[in-house]
Amino acid sequence: MERQIINKKKRVFSVEPNKIPPSEVFTRKYTSHLVPALKKLNMNKNSSQVNQLTVKHEVDMALALSAQEFAWSRFLLQKLSSSNNPTTATSSSSNGIRIQERSGKEGGGDEDGEIEEKLRELQKLLPGGEEMNVEEMLSEIGTYIKCLELQTIALKSMVQDTT
Amino acid sequence: MDLSVLERVKWLQQQQMVSPDFFEILGSDGREELKRVESYLGNNNDELQSFRHYETIDGCISRTSSFQIEQVKNNEENRVIALQHKRKTEGKTEKIENKKKKKIKTEDETESSMKGKSNMSNSETSSEIQKRDYIHVRARRGEATDRHSLAERARREKLSKKMKCLQDIVPGCNKVTGKAGMLDEIINYVQSLQQQVEFLSMKLSVLNPELEYHINELSTKQFQACFTDLPEAVSKQLMMVDASSFPLQHQESLDYSVINSIQTTTLGSKDQTSSGWEIHSQSLYNNLRTDSVSSFFSLE
Repeated sequence: MERQIINKKKRVFSVEPNKIPPSEVFTRKYTSHLVPALKKLNMNKNSSQVNQLTVKHEVDMALALSAQEFAWSRFLLQKLSSSNNPTTATSSSSNGIRIQERSGKEGGGDEDGEIEEKLRELQKLLPGGEEMNVEEMLSEIGTYIKCLELQTIALKSMVQDTT
Repeated sequence: MDLSVLERVKWLQQQQMVSPDFFEILGSDGREELKRVESYLGNNNDELQSFRHYETIDGCISRTSSFQIEQVKNNEENRVIALQHKRKTEGKTEKIENKKKKKIKTEDETESSMKGKSNMSNSETSSEIQKRDYIHVRARRGEATDRHSLAERARREKLSKKMKCLQDIVPGCNKVTGKAGMLDEIINYVQSLQQQVEFLSMKLSVLNPELEYHINELSTKQFQACFTDLPEAVSKQLMMVDASSFPLQHQESLDYSVINSIQTTTLGSKDQTSSGWEIHSQSLYNNLRTDSVSSFFSLE
């Protein structure tokens, strides 16, 4: 029934890396991936508690599957399929600490070096960012941000609806 | 006209500023075409009869001046434009700034099938560059003949163009000037988004066992509606809650004050539809909620 509800009318062709996917299409895809996955999880683990990491895993998987026209989604898929424990949970928080330290240190220092540092930080945030060169990475970051935004909206609505 | 084009092309070749520079700066997708073109120039100097158009992908062809695209006959022009549009739809090539036009005559029609990939049309005079939709790197006369600095400049312009795009996407970037500040903002924004996703997925994982999944079905319906029409979403919610078969005894309800605080820190404020929807749903839930158990945020 979900499939019927989720009616994919449009194909998304990302013709330019920086172009934002139509939010509607993305969110439809996203929910269509995530909801069945969660359902399956729920059914498989009836008695035991649903692990937080597996949910995160499904969340990331849904993100990657819904945005397959972008390079970062490929890397994300690779990461997810190779390991069962997603590392994004820990890395984001540690990066947060690190960036604050760094900006404190480099007060008046070498500007280019600073920028390089920050670009590298950004690369770490993006899945697969370290394998790309900087220009590519910047294009991909734009789309990644948009998809993250849509993802948060989707998740929020799901959470709020179930309460 | 034919002769002049030939002459110019030959001159280019003689100057030998084209070939080494090209292959330095050129992206990989243009390189093949260029190689073919080079072979053409070497072989077919006297026999060229029809026009072919290519676009180059590099930043330092013009050492002295800018190129001008000659006004070609209607068909070719249209074809060039059509091909350029096709080109633009190829993703990355859009980001590449410097498109110099080269016109190369060739009599090999079969290669017109290659046009989907890339086109090079070269024509140069000493005057204008025809404005297209992309950024040119102008190498002015006597300036930066060094291929490194030209490449460097092209690269920097590309970067700044992308930074501008990012500025539009990331909220709050407009106030900060300079690359470093913007990058900081972007990094913080991405981090906060990722943390939000993490947090929400945690919530979901807690909610998961108690869910009946038809709730989720309904949510996807509502959710789609929220992107199309806001009042519709609200009315649907009302209908569904009235006719609900939710397991009320297992429902956990969130403390909306806490949610509000989260909402204010998020980009929900930026996205008009989502914030509007949340406001509607909030009023709805306030009316319908029986418990006010706030168990969630102890999880954090």
